[in-house]
Amino acid sequence: MNGDRKKNRAPLAAFLLALAAIGASASFFFVSFRGEIVLQWLALLLALAGLIWGVVGVRRAYGQSQIYGGKVTAPIFAVIALLVLGLMGFGWKSARQLPASTGAPQVGQKAPDFTLSDSNGQQVSLAQLLQPAAGGAPKAVLLIFYRGYW
Amino acid sequence: MRGVEKNLKEFEQAGVRPVAISVDSPELSRNLANKAGYTFPILSDPGAVVIRHYDLLHKAAGPDGSDISRPAEFLVDDKGVVRWVNFTEDIRIRARADQMLAAAKAIQ
Repeated sequence: MNGDRKKNRAPLAAFLLALAAIGASASFFFVSFRGEIVLQWLALLLALAGLIWGVVGVRRAYGQSQIYGGKVTAPIFAVIALLVLGLMGFGWKSARQLPASTGAPQVGQKAPDFTLSDSNGQQVSLAQLLQPAAGGAPKAVLLIFYRGYW
Repeated sequence: MRGVEKNLKEFEQAGVRPVAISVDSPELSRNLANKAGYTFPILSDPGAVVIRHYDLLHKAAGPDGSDISRPAEFLVDDKGVVRWVNFTEDIRIRARADQMLAAAKAIQ
């Protein structure tokens, strides 16, 4: 009697798209190139497409239950797709919530000197770093402030 | 920072010493350097004193609401003057090695 029932592939599509979205959004760990933000937009689009397929899956499972199955899987994958999209949106917002840093040294200003401990516990100052080394005088020091790995 | 390590020779040739700074303890920084193979200096500012002085403090952005540094890059010349800065608007987008190298080479 289930001879002409079709397989409801929409929930699977929703799930795979959500996975692809997570992969694309995690890309910033691994890649660095001009315009890499495009991958983040792609992640958002994939997550949105995942949600759309999730909704299609649920509508098929419940609206056309004579034709399609998936009454259990469709809602689950739809919720997963929704969560992934929500997470992407939240991640997008929090990635851009940064302090204004208006008081940071600007081009042409003196960089305040400091003394900090290096990874071997040695005290190192900016003035020291700017001093000539055995290999010749450095023209400059590149200070890279980063969030840390805690 | 991976990009910096990969291009360390070129930074050297441009006469530029890369130095990383975060709130991580020296021990954590050592672990990171060992794991990632970083050979440039990594400095520790656990109290975020220098980070605050540079107005880079990102309040409550660390674990358990701790304060950390926002990402930022400064090229400081041998007179101690800032020649190039980069403040990202998105923590997922960091200064690329090629940008920093171009800035380094632009210094005479």
